[in-house]
Amino acid sequence: MPTIFKFLWVGFILAHSIDSLRAQAPTFKPHYVNITEVGGLFGRVVYDIAGSVPATQQVENRLSLTIQTFNGIQLKPRLALGVSCGVDWYQSALLAPVAAGVRYDLARSKKNVTLLGLFDAGYSSNWLHVDATDYKTQGGMMLNPGLGLKFGFKSGSALVLSLSYKRQNAKVTKPLNWGEIEKWEDRVYNRMALRLGMMF
Amino acid sequence: MNKPLLFSLFLVCLLQWSCTDQCTETRKYKRFSPVTVSLAEIRQGVRTETSRDLINPGKIYTKGNYLFINEMKEGLHIVDNTNPSAPKMISFIKIPGNGDMAVRGNILYADSYSDLVAFDISNPLDVKEISREKEVFPSGMFDGVSWFLNTTTGAINDQKVDIVTETRKVSCENANNSWWGGGIWFDRAAFSSAAAPSNGSSGQGQAGSMARFALYDKYLYTVGQNEMLLFDISTPSKPARSTKISIGWGIETIFPYRDKLFIGSTTGMFIYDNSNPEKPERLSTFQHAMSCDPVVVTDNRAYVTLRSGTTCNRGLNQLDVIDITDLRSPRLLKSYPMQNPHGLGVDYPNLYLCEGTHGLKSLNVANDFDVKQIQHLTGMDAYDVIPLANKTLMMVGKDGLYQFDISNPSNLRQLSKIPVKRLDI
Repeated sequence: MPTIFKFLWVGFILAHSIDSLRAQAPTFKPHYVNITEVGGLFGRVVYDIAGSVPATQQVENRLSLTIQTFNGIQLKPRLALGVSCGVDWYQSALLAPVAAGVRYDLARSKKNVTLLGLFDAGYSSNWLHVDATDYKTQGGMMLNPGLGLKFGFKSGSALVLSLSYKRQNAKVTKPLNWGEIEKWEDRVYNRMALRLGMMF
Repeated sequence: MNKPLLFSLFLVCLLQWSCTDQCTETRKYKRFSPVTVSLAEIRQGVRTETSRDLINPGKIYTKGNYLFINEMKEGLHIVDNTNPSAPKMISFIKIPGNGDMAVRGNILYADSYSDLVAFDISNPLDVKEISREKEVFPSGMFDGVSWFLNTTTGAINDQKVDIVTETRKVSCENANNSWWGGGIWFDRAAFSSAAAPSNGSSGQGQAGSMARFALYDKYLYTVGQNEMLLFDISTPSKPARSTKISIGWGIETIFPYRDKLFIGSTTGMFIYDNSNPEKPERLSTFQHAMSCDPVVVTDNRAYVTLRSGTTCNRGLNQLDVIDITDLRSPRLLKSYPMQNPHGLGVDYPNLYLCEGTHGLKSLNVANDFDVKQIQHLTGMDAYDVIPLANKTLMMVGKDGLYQFDISNPSNLRQLSKIPVKRLDI
């Protein structure tokens, strides 16, 4: 019995050393990659005050929570393709974008810090949204290009800090007041997304 | 890391300080602007024209093979309905301020703002005005917009409705901020009809129960906002103003059934005994929640629908079955929830109910306590129905006038449709 254990142990060590040898070699094998991030969507809104004479505009700053996870394949040493899913808590809409995403390593420093280019394009759904009486919220197109910094760890995982521009469309059909026949709102959320996350 | 890349990163950050949500709210609403029309202008405006498209259809009325469709405030379309599968638009009678009509023999009675006009329709291609009772109706309402007669200036003060689209920037929140402007707006009155009200005299047409005109014996009954005005039509070509009876407030419809008059108001249903046609007498009042309420009657049952809407805002959408065996004390038997009921028509044991944008329902009302839905047609707008004795159902909605074959109430077959060429709504 112990001989069998010894044999297995030696086998394991051997296999591991061969693996580490291969890792040091430039040969690359496509593998699964996950980037999960949490952050904020920063922006503001400028709107007309209803009924103001003369017309007056109000400005408000907006900050919404965003969670996003990118799941994909590291196809090439610098390129990863995958699907991004997330949740964005806007003031009066809870949108869940689903998008196709690209992550590309633009440049790498000696200290294992990588400048990352990222791009997501897709559709924000209203699956998680709950409407108030007589309101109907629909999602729309979502675009999210940006840049990120990847701080690599020895383990192979990395800390990712990203800054991107997020554009998201939505449409809300609203309840009618007196004399109204139809009323809707077209929304375009233009936000700066600052996210911090982990890459595995 | 090289410098251009760092710079581009910096630039991206900088550009993003200007990130602004863009939310625009678009709304379409009715705008009311006052219009004054002189009585002379109204009286000269009556003429027969070639047929035109339906744009904003109002009440419908049938007489023999002819069908009359009111074009709100404009006049009447005359339709040859000999073959319900292929109705033909024959002509259009231009009557400024017209909303109601009634036909007996070859005489058509129609309102023209404050006047009651009698027409000879023996030749529908050349309809002639034969008499006019002037300034008998002091006020009225079209599509929720009221007008009134100004006797000192000899003109009608009316309001014009325009559909306006406005856009503004909003805060991307659901706050339903009320807009400035706008104006008074009332829910479009429901119109409703019932099968062949057997009101004695032969040779007269059939109206919906939303009608404000009713013919009985030698009288034409017209209801205003708060009173009933009788016209003596013993000489059909010369209607003469007769008694005036004040009823109450918010009167919407008059529905004659046998020797009774059922008057629908926003607060309830009034039952009048009409055995002495010159002096109808009130028997009872059936009170209900403030709502829009077309009524139809068959034998000892009355069917009333209540619906929610801007002016009838109790949030109730239901069909009430009322026992009227004792006309002095009507009793509510049962209420059935509905989606948004408008007009209704009864061809016992079947009831046809318009559900507005939700379509048309065919119900079996043989059992008062178990009214069954036997068919529900969707994909059309339904406002008003008239079931005819020849098993044809006429239905008018925002999108046109439909005719159905109702020989099988659980499988209505569409015979024809006259489409509405509406510019908006």
